[in-house]
Amino acid sequence: MSTTTLRAVTHRLTTTPVEQLPAIASFLATSLSDCAELLSAPQAAKSGKSESDNTVQIHKLKTRLASLLQDRSIEGRWTAVVLVKATVEAGQWEILRGYEPIVRSLIGILAKPDPISTRKMCMITLTRIFHLTYQYPTLVREITTPHLPGFITAALNLVSVLVKLPTGSTRKPKPNTPFMETVLQVCLELVPRHPTIFRPFASQLRSLLTEILGSSSVYYPDSVMDIAEQLFASLHKCAPKDKAGAGWTEDCRSTVLSIHRAADYIFRAVKEQWESVDGSLVFTRQKYSDELADAGPDALGLPGWNGIHAGTDRIITLLRILSNFVAMPSASAVALPLGSILDITSRLTSVTAPSTEGTQSAIQANPQIGRDEREMLWSELPRIHVTCMDLLARVASVLETSTIPITQNMLEQITWVFRNEKASRNVRVASYELLRDLITLNGPAMAKQNVASLVNVLRACCHDLLPVSSDSNSQSKSQADSKSKTKNGQGTTNADSFLNPDLQKNRKAQASSQFPELENAASALLQAVLLSTPAELLPASIRTEIDRTIILVSDKDAMLASVLNPVPAIKGRAAGASILPFLVRSHADQMEVEALVRPRMPVLMTAPELDAYVEAEEQEEADEMVDDSYDAAPETADFLKAPVPAPTATKLETADQPSVHKRTYIEESTIQTPSLTTPSTQETAQKKARFGESSSSEAPRASAFVSHPAQPATQTPAAPVLPVAEDDSDGELPTVNMDSDTDSEDDEDVTMEG
Amino acid sequence: MLSESFIAATLSSAKTPTATLRDVGICVHEFQPSPQIRSTFKKSSTSPNCLAVTPSHIFTAQADKAVVHVYSREKGNQEALIPFPERIRSIAVAGTKYGDVLVLGTEGGRLILWETCTGRQVATTASHLQPVTSLVVDPTSNFILSGSADASVHVWSIPGILSFSKPAQTQDRQPPNSPIRTFSNHRAAITSLAVGHSNGRNNIAVSTAKDNTAVVWDYHTGRVLRTYLLPASATSVTLDPVDRAGYVGYEDGSVQSIEFYRSNSMQHALHDASLQSTPAQVSAEDRWLPPSAESGAVHALSLSYDGATLFSAHESGKVLSWTVARRKFATTVADYTHPVTNVIVLQPNGITTSSQELNRTTHTIVKPRHDGALSDPAHAPGAVPAAYSFHTHLLASSRPQSRQPSQFTSALTHASFPDSMIEEGLAELAAFRQSGTEGPRVVMTTPAVSDTMVDAGQDDRVAELEAEIDLLKKKAAVNDKSRHISAEEVVQLRSDLAQLQDYINQLHEKQEAAQQDKVQRQARKEARETKRREAWFAAEKKGRNGDAVMKKMEIDDGMLTSDSDDQSDE
Repeated sequence: MSTTTLRAVTHRLTTTPVEQLPAIASFLATSLSDCAELLSAPQAAKSGKSESDNTVQIHKLKTRLASLLQDRSIEGRWTAVVLVKATVEAGQWEILRGYEPIVRSLIGILAKPDPISTRKMCMITLTRIFHLTYQYPTLVREITTPHLPGFITAALNLVSVLVKLPTGSTRKPKPNTPFMETVLQVCLELVPRHPTIFRPFASQLRSLLTEILGSSSVYYPDSVMDIAEQLFASLHKCAPKDKAGAGWTEDCRSTVLSIHRAADYIFRAVKEQWESVDGSLVFTRQKYSDELADAGPDALGLPGWNGIHAGTDRIITLLRILSNFVAMPSASAVALPLGSILDITSRLTSVTAPSTEGTQSAIQANPQIGRDEREMLWSELPRIHVTCMDLLARVASVLETSTIPITQNMLEQITWVFRNEKASRNVRVASYELLRDLITLNGPAMAKQNVASLVNVLRACCHDLLPVSSDSNSQSKSQADSKSKTKNGQGTTNADSFLNPDLQKNRKAQASSQFPELENAASALLQAVLLSTPAELLPASIRTEIDRTIILVSDKDAMLASVLNPVPAIKGRAAGASILPFLVRSHADQMEVEALVRPRMPVLMTAPELDAYVEAEEQEEADEMVDDSYDAAPETADFLKAPVPAPTATKLETADQPSVHKRTYIEESTIQTPSLTTPSTQETAQKKARFGESSSSEAPRASAFVSHPAQPATQTPAAPVLPVAEDDSDGELPTVNMDSDTDSEDDEDVTMEG
Repeated sequence: MLSESFIAATLSSAKTPTATLRDVGICVHEFQPSPQIRSTFKKSSTSPNCLAVTPSHIFTAQADKAVVHVYSREKGNQEALIPFPERIRSIAVAGTKYGDVLVLGTEGGRLILWETCTGRQVATTASHLQPVTSLVVDPTSNFILSGSADASVHVWSIPGILSFSKPAQTQDRQPPNSPIRTFSNHRAAITSLAVGHSNGRNNIAVSTAKDNTAVVWDYHTGRVLRTYLLPASATSVTLDPVDRAGYVGYEDGSVQSIEFYRSNSMQHALHDASLQSTPAQVSAEDRWLPPSAESGAVHALSLSYDGATLFSAHESGKVLSWTVARRKFATTVADYTHPVTNVIVLQPNGITTSSQELNRTTHTIVKPRHDGALSDPAHAPGAVPAAYSFHTHLLASSRPQSRQPSQFTSALTHASFPDSMIEEGLAELAAFRQSGTEGPRVVMTTPAVSDTMVDAGQDDRVAELEAEIDLLKKKAAVNDKSRHISAEEVVQLRSDLAQLQDYINQLHEKQEAAQQDKVQRQARKEARETKRREAWFAAEKKGRNGDAVMKKMEIDDGMLTSDSDDQSDE
């Protein structure tokens, strides 16, 4: 099948006029990936006529692709790039082996004035090839080592200009190049895999990146900035193995210093209360009469900036570089400077805009700076704080439980920012997300004061989640109130809202669904709070509000969390009602709800011997039940009642198993007593399903562990739940029940039944 | 391949083991699929509850010495030897899957918490009056339970001890770093502790003591859930992975299971308030007996991953395995000659759960620092000191990128290229071809390319821009055309509208006419009626039969109305 496909592909590739090839390129690529088996088959194994035919076809394909890459027309080259990628993906090692000339011509294409898409796809294909060679030393020797430097140079030439300086060559980015993102992605992808080849380019890359990250005149889209930040944080990998860790530490330290320097300028309009824990920090002196600007390169080598907006951008860029340092894989063991990170976030979060509620924050203004600049600073602050919280969230996700020593500091910073800047939606989303992470970590051991400090956040959370239609009543009431108070205030109220009361409702409902990010974050936080914090420490009023909110939005996971952690009964007060009915009403079809309401944990261990002593009294019940309502069981019951001959090992085994059936069976029936009249077929189906379940869960285990004669016991626990399997394996385990102590017990049971 | 192993540690004794086991203090022993020793670590002698294992390291507190040995599992050697001011009687690791915090229970009754990645070390108050002999950390890594020979179990909050910044002190004047709760139901020295596997508020703890009891209790409240009277004093306890049962080991080498689910009540057996006050007797006959009497006391118990096999470490140097389902001895797994004091079953290799994947690893631990760099800075109490740094090797990007993968990353692993990219390329090729046929500029520039890259780029750009202008012009033309068309359409619609208006007016007129007609007819009908009645009265007066006259008139009327009023009948 795939042989003919391959032949068809090569045929079409050679006979179709080159101009028409792009139209069928996508189809040919799909066909080629269908032939993956053929293309990746090792050469040596190919023998026989059909196999040699395949080899010929593959060879034809390769030569055709090589010639297409050199084709005069752009269509030919475009098609060749697409198909080379497809063959590489399909054939992997076998195809790559002879691809050295193809790699060379691919790199050649980068220098030609081909369409942008050809060159972009060319870079992606080359990246993939170098990506795949990484695991194979022979391919690295044949392809990567000779050609990767050429590729890097060609790619960098697309986006930048090489400037030779006496101290070394640097690179200046070309403005408005469409390739910037792709080239940076290529580097980001290849640096960790081939760090030694990138080593000579490290300084060029660094100069290019500082130009991009530090530019305030040229605009780069967010995606480019994002990748540039990531690449900057992984440049330390180019250093020799033993110096990589030191390079990381140094870069990290410089980033922190640069943030402090920028903050010195930005925060000059206020008198900071913050004091550093690091005695070595030096405050940057500046002239207050000048316009806000930083002239010189900072510790990271980023150029200067001008104006408060550019300064804020710089701080945000630096914070994001720092979080990439924390979150990206490192080349070797590194020392995360938690002290410095907490120090910088503490500094940045300690300055907050005075909240609108009149409570003047403790921030003192610097009288030497005008009011305009200060107010500009207030408007820029939320952006900085959101980035700070993202950084802390990265730290928490890396350290997990080791965040515990510093969670309290983080909590204080969040609650402080939240109190003053909760009006900003981004601040709310970032705080919810970070709080969620922290509460999952140290929620169970939270102190009462900590939980109390969260109340404000939780209220805002409920408000963000609640569908607005439900409080339109209260709103209209308040409107009515205000109207009655100020009779002549008519002019200020929205006249349209009287004419069409639905209008407001609709508009608000739409508005709330516009921010799924906010809602997801709020819902996740409520869930974490319900699940992790001690229920008795949460004030009753806020707990009620949370319960009400999650019922109204019918948030399944949060409701489940609320049900699992009910409000504990306090002495002298009636226990709070569980919201379980609401959960079942809205999500009865969900598996978790079913598991919660009708639990079926196999309470008993997997062997019949274990429940031998509870069997005696249950057996009678069981027999009754079985005779009354089930048609499925009589044979087993009769079998049990039949006189049992001398208890040989195998007989015992089979006698015991049916009773196990019934036990599990009865559990079900006692739980569902009202539904006893349901057709027995359904019940048997359930029973079967259960056995299917247990056997499927046990089967892989038995096969996963290779059994060995010295330890026959490893398999036996699985056997009793699985009567069929037991029958089969009886031959293997003949001496299974020869022990005296359990035998006597079983004996009794059987006689009692009989 | 799937394999499961355990780590056992021994206490050195006068006996001399075989050559292969000389000097060996810790063994990593695979028991499935094939039982054999995988690796060994030397020069360690540990008492019970003095072995702790993390994914990267093994920690052992040495018997009779105030020293903890650190072994690197990665390198397979002894990495460090950490001296402490007091003897360490028990150790445990906190920090869930990474195990970054080592908890040490000292001879003097205090706990020492050592963050192995930062070198920070925090000691608690000496709240126990006797040595701390058993330690467990709960699954959330928030609480430590410590048992001591003074018969009490203390519950400690890890955040409370480790946090740099403490929440403002409440009215109860507890000294810092003291236990948050004390459980004192036992009457004799605590021998062993175990904690349940739940992350929630209803997790349980089991403690055994020399007073022959095992108590199941809730460490979040300190409430006793169940008391079991054992036939002898238990030396070790462990819990089923689903918390269905507990297993205890005795000094005579036997073990026993305590099943929590015995009754048929629908309520969770441990939370049935009616049973909580009455201790349950565990019968001595139910014990699972060892194969021979000389196996010696059980020092430690551990369950396999599936909870079906129980391993016990014995004084005689043997590690025995027991089949839980059959409630009896299975095999002797290993014999290390020296008394085996600890056994810990490791997570099996080959089961990949995303929650167990490590995002970072520790190659070397950071020894406790005593230089004061990690103490509170004087001017800012509660702040994190600048020297506090976390030594680790980051392996994977910890937070999956929340935004969808970029075009580049999706293209990189695609079988060829994503459709969107191919379509974009085709469109560009078409544009390129068009501009190429209109003017031979592109072909012209090709030879010029060889001169300099910059020129080529500019020419390229000019060509591109021209193509773009053409495209825009075309678009503008199309726009114009479509605007004309729509204008015409509007005119058409307007005229239609006018016609419709006229039509409506006509209909209105018709309706009015019909209305008038109806009123008139009604009036006529009434007039006829009165006439008829009058005629009838007149007839009656004259003495004739009125009805006959009526009928006659009706017939006349019928002939009249049938042709004129047939519409108004409805």
